[in-house]
Amino acid sequence: MPAILELERVTIRFGGLTAVSEVDLALPDNALFGLIGPNGAGKTTAFNLITGVYQPTEGRITFQGSPTAGLKPHQLAAHGIARTFQNIRLFASLTVFDNVRVAMALHHPHGIAQALWRGSEFQRGERDVAQRIHELLEIFNLDEVRDVQACSLPYGDQRRLEIVRALATQPRLLLLDEPAAGMNPTEKSQLADLIRSIRTRFNLAVLLVEHDMQLVMNLCERIAVLDYGVKIAEGSPGEIRRNPKVIEAYLGEEHSPDNPPPSHRP
Amino acid sequence: MKIAGAKRWLLAGLAASALLHLFTGYTNRYYLGVSIDVAINIVLAVSLNLINGHTGQFSLGHCGFMAIGGYVSAMLTIAAHKAGIPQALTPLVFAASLLAGGVFAALAGIGVGIPSFRLRGDYLAIVTLGFGEIIRVFFQTFEPAGAASGLKGIPNYTNFLWAWGTAAITIYVVAALVNSTYGRGFLAVHDDEIAAGAMGVNTTRYKVTAFAIGSFFAGVAGGLYAHHKVFLSPTGFDFMRSIEIVVMVILGGMGRTAGVAVAAILLTLLPELLRGFSDYRMILYSLLIIILMLSRPQGLFNFVGGKRVKA
Ligand SMILES: Nc1ncnc2c1ncn2[C@@H]1O[C@H](COP(=O)(O)OP(=O)(O)O)[C@@H](O)[C@H]1O
Ligand SMILES: [Mg+2]
Repeated sequence: MPAILELERVTIRFGGLTAVSEVDLALPDNALFGLIGPNGAGKTTAFNLITGVYQPTEGRITFQGSPTAGLKPHQLAAHGIARTFQNIRLFASLTVFDNVRVAMALHHPHGIAQALWRGSEFQRGERDVAQRIHELLEIFNLDEVRDVQACSLPYGDQRRLEIVRALATQPRLLLLDEPAAGMNPTEKSQLADLIRSIRTRFNLAVLLVEHDMQLVMNLCERIAVLDYGVKIAEGSPGEIRRNPKVIEAYLGEEHSPDNPPPSHRP
Repeated sequence: MKIAGAKRWLLAGLAASALLHLFTGYTNRYYLGVSIDVAINIVLAVSLNLINGHTGQFSLGHCGFMAIGGYVSAMLTIAAHKAGIPQALTPLVFAASLLAGGVFAALAGIGVGIPSFRLRGDYLAIVTLGFGEIIRVFFQTFEPAGAASGLKGIPNYTNFLWAWGTAAITIYVVAALVNSTYGRGFLAVHDDEIAAGAMGVNTTRYKVTAFAIGSFFAGVAGGLYAHHKVFLSPTGFDFMRSIEIVVMVILGGMGRTAGVAVAAILLTLLPELLRGFSDYRMILYSLLIIILMLSRPQGLFNFVGGKRVKA
């Protein structure tokens, strides 16, 4: 299967700190791919590199065959990369509906002229957007709260709304940064089902950062492990579980990847 | 504002302005003058609200754009007047001069905006404040516009219809823009720039657009003001004037077009009612700001990160 996303010896340094160090990664199209590692390992930084928030100090990133160097986050979103954030970043003062609507604007052809003229073409466009938002929200059971301000949603709903909003950009690759953080076991298992169904329904690849090992092991077909910015292992969930380097990174004897400490770093 | 009804509201606003205009012959000149002041302040506050309220940038230089528009527009009509333009053409000349003033102001807005957008909110405030002062000092020394003694002999073109018609158009443009799928991008930039970028919003483009449109209308307001007062003095464009407009925006509720228009009306009328106390106007504004700061503990300048979900 051809890779949708490729990282070749990608490195980023912040002053003296090498947050991501010579990482190679090839994400097959339509994959459910896990990226794990202790706190501070560089997972979120890797997401920021892939989405153009940071430019790599060295190495190159290729998305669907073309290099992404120099592209801004909004351009990469237009190319088909969408993400959620470890610390939820919804448009807090906007409604659920409008949070999704912002993302819909990416592939919506109308701009200033139509908004000011407000002709029948504009009306049709807006009705079409509203219909598509309605359909998306229904899939995620968020349609009843469409007029609620995003910041007053319960925590789990906020996490799901972030996923809906990302999907509204019509991505080919979805990056999820700890989507299960703060969820209870029931919510977590629902989330796993949801991610699986998203992959099929929206025909995209998912790169998942998650601390809940059970969730990652059950969900992902392939997993890469970062430690201090270095990729120390990659393989199937079974291989990762047995990998001595991985067990070491998660503080060896006491803690296997199945039972990691919350953090092994200050 | 409902999508379908938006254009009808604009037409209603324009028709009301025209109708009331017919009766201005019977009103007291003082009241007429104040009503035009009110309309000009609505234009200023509603346009600044696009920048500071909806888009969450912090401009303290709105009055600088107003000055540019005022001087450009006034110099054009004075020149046309000297060239002996026939009476019948004056509305056209005036309209063209207002547009020219708006365009110059918009270009200045883009020029100030683009290098400033990398700056955090409070630094942008300082840069725009500095810009406003530079503009004022420029006109203080600009001989062709009378320098420090001011620009005299501006024709008295601004009437009730021009002022309130422009106010109606400004409200329509800002409200129609923001109330669209495209326009939700302004609000997204306000709430969270990083998330907006990740969702495909070209945040720089939206900020430049807000600055361009906002300063365009500030420039038009300046043109209306010039042809209302028939005299422009650089001292009238000091930064306290910008602060006045900012207070209208904050009082009106940051990003609420109707609220900001009401605040512009109140804050124009209030000093007129308290004419004897006009020296204390700035104290009143300062008190308002203090009260607002206490009720906005995240800080007056912290609009970008204002409301954030705790995660
Ligand atoms: N913008 C930045 N400037 C300096 N250091 C950073 C920056 N972003 C991340 N880091 C550092 O890079 C390391 C990796 O962080 P991060 O990618 O957030 O880890 P995690 O794997 O927990 O998501 C950390 O030591 C963090 O402090
Ligand atoms: Mg992280």
